[in-house]
Amino acid sequence: MSSALLLRSTLPRALAARHFARSSLLVRHASTATTGEDAKYKYVPGGPILQGTVNDPTTFPPPNPSHGSYHWAFERLLSAALVPMSAAAFVGSANPSVGAAVFDGVLGLVLVMHCHIGFDASVVDYLHPRKFPVLGQVAKWGLRGATVATLVGVYQFNTNDVGLTELIAKVWTA
Amino acid sequence: MMSTRALGLGSALRKAALNPNLVRNQVAMRNIAGKRFIQVESLRPAQNIEILNSQRLKRPSSPHFTIYQPQLTWLLSIVHRGTGIALGGLFYGFSIAYLIAPTTFDTAHIVEVVAGLPEGVKYAGKALLAAPFAFHSFNGVRHLSWDLLKLLSLKGVYRSGYTVLGASAVATAYLTFFQ
Amino acid sequence: MQSLLRATRSSNFANLSHGLPKRAFSTSQRYRQATPQEKPVLMKEFKIYRWNPDEPDKKPELQSYNIDLNQTGPMILDALIKIKNEIDPTLTFRRSCREGICGSCAMNIDGQNTLACLCRIDRDGGKNTKVYPLPHMYIVKDLVPDMTQFYKQYKSIQPWLQNDNPPASGEHIQSPADRLKLDGMYECILCACCSTSCPSYWWNQDEYLGPATLMQAYRWIADSRDTAGDARKAKLQNEFSLYRCHTIFNCSRTCPKGLNPAAAIAKIKLELSSE
Repeated sequence: MSSALLLRSTLPRALAARHFARSSLLVRHASTATTGEDAKYKYVPGGPILQGTVNDPTTFPPPNPSHGSYHWAFERLLSAALVPMSAAAFVGSANPSVGAAVFDGVLGLVLVMHCHIGFDASVVDYLHPRKFPVLGQVAKWGLRGATVATLVGVYQFNTNDVGLTELIAKVWTA
Repeated sequence: MMSTRALGLGSALRKAALNPNLVRNQVAMRNIAGKRFIQVESLRPAQNIEILNSQRLKRPSSPHFTIYQPQLTWLLSIVHRGTGIALGGLFYGFSIAYLIAPTTFDTAHIVEVVAGLPEGVKYAGKALLAAPFAFHSFNGVRHLSWDLLKLLSLKGVYRSGYTVLGASAVATAYLTFFQ
Repeated sequence: MQSLLRATRSSNFANLSHGLPKRAFSTSQRYRQATPQEKPVLMKEFKIYRWNPDEPDKKPELQSYNIDLNQTGPMILDALIKIKNEIDPTLTFRRSCREGICGSCAMNIDGQNTLACLCRIDRDGGKNTKVYPLPHMYIVKDLVPDMTQFYKQYKSIQPWLQNDNPPASGEHIQSPADRLKLDGMYECILCACCSTSCPSYWWNQDEYLGPATLMQAYRWIADSRDTAGDARKAKLQNEFSLYRCHTIFNCSRTCPKGLNPAAAIAKIKLELSSE
């Protein structure tokens, strides 16, 4: 964990330095820099070279509430829903009823979405494709694939087996 | 060489070297050596940026989490994320395993395997599952209260943090030994 | 004549001039003054992060300095100035006001980000004090970090009053209740202690604005005189600028001015979602 974090914090500079070393061989005589974003000192996200001059403000990504407030509110809604659902699961597992299958189906769906958002936040925090062009894409699409597989798996388990709450109750008292 | 150029002494020394009369004349020599002929080289903005960028590339990044004081704030935060990833990973792992091999990972088999474990391992396993679940749940409620602008003072953060730790310990003990 | 002479001899003036000891510098009553007490020597070790841009290939290292705390002022900044004056003039750090209002001397002292001028020296001589620059910043020299990105981000939120409908004459009027909303935010001195204490800012400072800038963004969103609030909020509607905040609270924990950036960010998030 710590070595990975160390690596990721030194990586942008290493990338920038590597780029510098490579391009200094190729364009040694091209010194017509205007903005600091020329080939010699390329901007690497998180690296020491910045975009624009020191007097330019940083820019914002295009506004999109689906990545902003809608996403945030949906995440809170899922988390808040899990509070009564967990409580209900404890009560429900003691006396399973007809509604248990429906409950397990909804719980499975909410849990998978909650987990996906949590994993996704970690990928964006630590392995975003803008900094890790290969590993970031692998993590992003690997997570999406795993989420779909989990969704199918948990649906299969809830329909063909005893269901999530019942499984946990049985394993716990095994 | 660099230093004489930087001080602007280059031309004075050169003049002294080329003109023996000047060296013999102590007064003139002292005057020349005493004055610094500072030569100012004007740079275009692009050249300034190039100098700045060449310096920037060499700058080290200062140490961060290795030297930062362990505080309840960020420790609970990383534990929240860690427990979430662990529990989510287990959930994903089980679901995908069931999808691939439903006959190996069905309830009957899992219960059979768990029932065959020694008592100590069972209790340890229960504690190992109950502790992250309890912590992540209680701390999740703490996070939700912050999102509704409750407990936002530093005092609220610390009190609720210790409350969550205490409640998690109690819940873990209950789930491990009394369920 | 005789009587005159007698009168002169017996006069008070004559008695005074002969009766009292002469006052001179050498006879001043020094013995009545308090003598300066010899304070015992209290040595303490300071370990300070050093990196010199003139030797860029040498790795940054901690350098030890031992000074007598009883010959030093009470604050960490006093110790740094003493070291620079008396031991090592190459030690480089930013400082200006020495009273916690300029924000120049922000640094990481014993693991916490704070202002050196507001941080008392721990007088336990047995323990050393470690001084690092602000965490996860590119270092210009020793304790001086490159703050360019921080200032560029502050500029990006347009930290000035924007009102497309100014009053016909006079000032912008504001109720005391509306003015009260700015308390705890306008006092920020932009020292960057909070932003550089934030793990999210460590990992994503190229895109995430960080607590200091976000609190200032809310300072203008919350201002009743500002009419650009919707545009200000719309800019934050993306994955990074605001929403990399995971309410860790390192910012509020470390703020040397006792402000609460985490609370301001929580208010932005709730306002954005309740529209």
